[in-house]
Amino acid sequence: MNASVAWALLLKDLRTEWRSRDRLVAMIVFSFLVIVVFQFAWPPMDSKEMLRFAPGVLWVTYVFAAIIGLGRTFAMELENDAMTALALAPGTRGWIFLGKATATWILITTVQAMTAFVFTLFFRVDLWQGIAGSALIVALANVSICSVGTLLSAMSVRSRFRDVLLPVLLIPTLIPVLMAAVRGSTATFAGEAPPFDALQLLIVIGGVYSILCFLLFDYVLDE
Amino acid sequence: MNASLDSLAPGATIGRSQRVLGWILLLLTPGYAWVVVGAPTDAVQGTMQKILYVHPPLAYGAYLGFVVTAIGGALFLWRGEERHDQLAIAGAEVGTVFCSLMLITGPIWARGAWGPGNWWVWDARLTLTLLLWFVYLAYLLLRSFTEGEERTARFASIYGILGVVLIPLNYWIIDLVGGNAQHPENIQSGSLGEGMGLPFLVGNLTLFFAFAYLLVLRWRVGVLRAEGERLDYENETTR
Repeated sequence: MNASVAWALLLKDLRTEWRSRDRLVAMIVFSFLVIVVFQFAWPPMDSKEMLRFAPGVLWVTYVFAAIIGLGRTFAMELENDAMTALALAPGTRGWIFLGKATATWILITTVQAMTAFVFTLFFRVDLWQGIAGSALIVALANVSICSVGTLLSAMSVRSRFRDVLLPVLLIPTLIPVLMAAVRGSTATFAGEAPPFDALQLLIVIGGVYSILCFLLFDYVLDE
Repeated sequence: MNASLDSLAPGATIGRSQRVLGWILLLLTPGYAWVVVGAPTDAVQGTMQKILYVHPPLAYGAYLGFVVTAIGGALFLWRGEERHDQLAIAGAEVGTVFCSLMLITGPIWARGAWGPGNWWVWDARLTLTLLLWFVYLAYLLLRSFTEGEERTARFASIYGILGVVLIPLNYWIIDLVGGNAQHPENIQSGSLGEGMGLPFLVGNLTLFFAFAYLLVLRWRVGVLRAEGERLDYENETTR
């Protein structure tokens, strides 16, 4: 088995998502709601103060929305017992992981871009300055979120209380990613270049998580 | 029949080492109590400073438990033997107990040393330990929520390995973000007051053996229980 499996799964997942748009719509609506909830939870602020809170609020929203999307990644394979078919595919299962994780990465990044756009409109915060740096940080952090998320989603889907289990398993493993991403975004939102130490950390964590999850995924699927 | 005797053999070895560890622990405990009571009282913090002889040794036990879990998990994924999974459970459970005790003794000491209201500080090591504690609670939840014994063992092994990878990553990120260091970097020789070195050493030794004893005991219970279940199953199917 080789990269063609990953490619086939990626196209399949994107096509399914495009035809139903279930996950996309659910994640976007959820993200907007979280931002609206934050609006009621914090005291009135001017846009300068808002800019200080923006990285934290956005990243919390991103992670929550990602959990919603990740929860469905393998749940949809349970229908018609497609999980068994995936497990029966010959060769290294890591490629299945790669296809799934990449599809989720594209989905999550799309939702995050739309969330950031709405955030800019509603809260009069200018995120356009340093947009390239912000995009780089989001892209790197999503590698970690999607790799661990895909692995844990494949595990939690096989358990009772899967909706509760996924966030409980996922959030502690994402804390370093979250801290580095918030640190990076704080700089880029202010129009500065992304700090090197945050980028370095995101690259290392992303690399470690991706390789580890690629190898460990072999043991996740059964039957 | 031969096969079942063979598979009982590891249980017997574990039993022997458990008894040896138990005796060492029994001999060390009175000495531990003796030196801690006899240790000099701290000039600034008073008697409360004696938490020093409990708190750091608990931390070593907690970390060790989590490393044992990852090693047991990796061995299980590699060899597929039940006893390695039982070792992983033992590491996680004993590690969680040590970690919880550390998280309880820490704030008691903190409140006394750093003043009223200072039960908790987001200091580097505190944050890291709290995160690890959450990882291992999640590990235990995963074990109880997954269906099928073999699958539970596999999933738990995977999560145990992921969890231990977090230790160096967390150290790095917390160092970077710059948590105010309330904890000393390392206990260098001579940083302890006069007469405090010996009780500290004895405390570390005793709690290490307490950890090892509990780990092996829990491991043995797990191995024997699995063996009992297997024999039950064999009896039922051959009847």
